Amino acid sequence: MLSGLNFQPARFGLWPAIFVLFIISVPVLAHHSFQAEYDAAKPLTLTGTVTKLEWTNPHARFYVEVKDPSGKVTTWNFELASPNVLRRLGWNRDMMKPGDVVTVKGHRAKDDSTWANANSVTLSDGRTMSAGSSADEASAAPTSK
Amino acid sequence: MSKSQVRKDKNPMNFSRATAFLKSIAASFFLSAALFMLVCSLAQAQKLLTEEGGGQALTALTRLQSNSTAPTPHNADGTPDLSGLWGPDKNFMYDISSALKPGETLPLQEWAAKASKEHMSKDDPNVRCRPSGIPRMTPYPWKIIQTPKLIVFLYEGGTHGYRQIFLDGRSHSKDLDPTYYGESIGHWEGDTLVVDTIGFNDVFWFDGAGHPHTEKLHIIERVRRPDLGHLTMDVTIDDPGAYTRPFTVYGHMAQLVNTEIMEYICDENNVDLPHIVGKDSRK
Repeated sequence: MLSGLNFQPARFGLWPAIFVLFIISVPVLAHHSFQAEYDAAKPLTLTGTVTKLEWTNPHARFYVEVKDPSGKVTTWNFELASPNVLRRLGWNRDMMKPGDVVTVKGHRAKDDSTWANANSVTLSDGRTMSAGSSADEASAAPTSK
Repeated sequence: MSKSQVRKDKNPMNFSRATAFLKSIAASFFLSAALFMLVCSLAQAQKLLTEEGGGQALTALTRLQSNSTAPTPHNADGTPDLSGLWGPDKNFMYDISSALKPGETLPLQEWAAKASKEHMSKDDPNVRCRPSGIPRMTPYPWKIIQTPKLIVFLYEGGTHGYRQIFLDGRSHSKDLDPTYYGESIGHWEGDTLVVDTIGFNDVFWFDGAGHPHTEKLHIIERVRRPDLGHLTMDVTIDDPGAYTRPFTVYGHMAQLVNTEIMEYICDENNVDLPHIVGKDSRK
């Protein structure tokens, strides 16, 4: 239906962006509190090379080497949801391999280490996957009383 | 270029702009309508839970809810069939005070109120991969298996555990060792499954907020399935060791479809603890 239309982002205004944001903002689950470990005021977006994926409970984790402008390499440890939650979100353990270049959006740990909670991952094939983060589970909840 | 040519050239341009404008309007309308329908469907999914009195569905599992209002299924002996896959109520994860009746507060004894404030997330037994106990839930599905004389709850999370509810007429054992899930004896009162549980340890917390209890804990759950897609659980907590009077929290669970409980061995790679510095303030 849309393919026959002349897609001009400026004329659509913000609707496509809002729509996409809505779709990718599916929250992630954690067996512990997001607030106790990660800082919502410290968002980050990093692009780097995957060195390892741990497809384990209670959280899948992956390690990304990120090079800064001076050439210094830092290894970040990102938390994902549990493998079960990730599978329910459409992931499988073969989607991210050592050597893949990925872009991760997430939040840093409160202790300022290179430890972070992933909110979404853009994989080497271009797909952007929700990481199942509990970051916005609370704010998304309906208040019923 | 003659005047008529200019006019000729100009008209198609106007037509082209007008067409593009209309296409943009149409596309925006289509996207707006799609977004509106999506928001409405999600809101409806949540509403079915909340109308019954205050549950909070887990957002990430919402799209797996059946939201069915078909009649409650029954077994050959006439009892309601509670079996199936269920999602947790967030009120039973973060803070059970959210599951009280409106206006009520938890009747904490002084030491228990102090302990709740001092309990930090890094010390949460559930974060340390211990079983969640009752009535705490974890952000994972759970399953009810029902037979006439035994009902079993299988938990994916908190942590890959199970509960047995005996309906074979037995009484509570004497000299029970304290455990996370205690000893549960059930019976039917009409369409309500009534479960009486004693024999708890004092290790687990009721929620992420750190509400404590003692080995004097006695829990009575009243479980109903008002329709195919929903389960309610009124949990009366009586612990004269930590609370000044019995109180009841109300849980609302949604039937999940198109998924299954899966293995979840929490202590496989639980490496978060050194980085957990605060406390969860979610309700």
